[in-house]
Amino acid sequence: MGQGVIALRWTLRIITYAVFAIMVLTLAIIVVSGLPHFFRPGFFTEWPRRAMSEGGIFPMLIGSLMLMALVFEVSIPVGLIGTIFLSEIAPRKLSMVLQSLAATMNSVPSIVYGVFGLSFFCVRLSMGTSLISASLTLSTMSIPFFMNSAVEFLRAVPKELREGVIALGASKLQATLMVLRASRNGVLTSLILTLGRAFSETAPILVTGAVFYTTKLPVRLTDPVMTLPTSIYAIVMNLGEESQWMAKGMASLMVLITIGVYFLVQLMRRNQRE
Amino acid sequence: MSDVVFEIKNLYAYYGDHCVLNDINLKIRSKRITAIMGPSGCGKSTLLRCLNRLNDLIPDFSLKGQILFRGQDIYRISNLTEYRRRVTMVFQKPNPFPMSVFDNVAYGLRIHGITKKSVLREKVEEALRKAALWDEVKDKLKKPAVQLSGGQQQRLCIARALAVEPEVLLLDEPTSALDPIATTKIERLLEELAEQYTVVIVTHSMGQALRISDEVVFLYEGKLIEYGDTSVIAKTPKHEVTRQFLTGKIG
Repeated sequence: MGQGVIALRWTLRIITYAVFAIMVLTLAIIVVSGLPHFFRPGFFTEWPRRAMSEGGIFPMLIGSLMLMALVFEVSIPVGLIGTIFLSEIAPRKLSMVLQSLAATMNSVPSIVYGVFGLSFFCVRLSMGTSLISASLTLSTMSIPFFMNSAVEFLRAVPKELREGVIALGASKLQATLMVLRASRNGVLTSLILTLGRAFSETAPILVTGAVFYTTKLPVRLTDPVMTLPTSIYAIVMNLGEESQWMAKGMASLMVLITIGVYFLVQLMRRNQRE
Repeated sequence: MSDVVFEIKNLYAYYGDHCVLNDINLKIRSKRITAIMGPSGCGKSTLLRCLNRLNDLIPDFSLKGQILFRGQDIYRISNLTEYRRRVTMVFQKPNPFPMSVFDNVAYGLRIHGITKKSVLREKVEEALRKAALWDEVKDKLKKPAVQLSGGQQQRLCIARALAVEPEVLLLDEPTSALDPIATTKIERLLEELAEQYTVVIVTHSMGQALRISDEVVFLYEGKLIEYGDTSVIAKTPKHEVTRQFLTGKIG
């Protein structure tokens, strides 16, 4: 082996390690710099006070969770029906066109969804800056993402299984239920990834439902909401040094949750293989 | 009552413009094993799948002519699911459902409205016994069906088909994915089943057709070359292509 090859191999190796080191360091710095704040009394259970320089992140955490719950409720039925249509019902050509449309929607910048949500849900449908506007906007973004990912799991179910069900005298609907049953792990994986992504999105909700500060938790769908990512943005952009710790704490929490989500997905993939 | 189960008249089948079955005329008799034989791509699977209208699922598929099941045109029947229960099918690759052994066999019963537990248990056991699988799985009824061996899975699929109490069992190369021992078991089983059911089997293997079938249908390039008593055709084929297939010159 020539020296050139050895040198090249080592160069590539070092670059790879460096890239990984940067990624790990980024995550580590975020987590470590925020982690100590978790142990401040009331960090998870109190409202922020004195321009976010004291107190905790309770309303943001609850707001984010409420948003997720609504996105879940909207995206699951719609996304699942869409996925079933793409994989089981639509003629192949139509399905291809629709799927590439969904793929295109995935690469639309998220602020564009935000602007769409603002003009459509908030203004046109008069929903205002609210929990419902934000969750519908997030769902608009999440549904194509979910469909794109889940449809592959449905398509991977062998044709023989569908035919086996039909050949026993079952209806098309019963065959579809069997396909869902066979692909349930994959569909669940897609769902978790979708929610994980929706959880961390900032731009679409920044302009449609999130506010910097409100004195109460949303009780109606038309109430505005505080969330983790938008509050980080607000603190970093608008507030002084004494409030930054709260942004760091929330960022750390979000990274940990995201890592948790991916860990869960990996675990499920491994279970599926067995 | 005549013993003709299927009467196929002037049947043409197409995928798009491509003609895969060309003027098939054929009678399939009750309580015998009829083997549909021929080289790859001769249309034998298509013919079998026509018999329980499984090709309806394929886009671009079209069909001309008539298939009569006990005198009734199967493309004019109103209750297709009930028809498919009476004429059920087992596939080339074992396709157990992603559920337990018991639920696999019970599936067909459940979709046809049987939910009472004691009845289900009785019928599942009966079907598994008929498929000569009961002794091997009676202690693993709750285990996932995919954990069974390939041969067991295929017998499970046969049990699943028998559970709905069909009259006809269609099998599409049921042993091509199995080892010789599993194949022998299934062949014996089919011979037993032919006492009660009409069995139509597509096979690529000439040996298998000769071993188990009473009647053989020989297809070549979408045309019916000849059909009749297996032993007669094996000894004195009327056509040159059949002879070539029997002697292994084509296949």
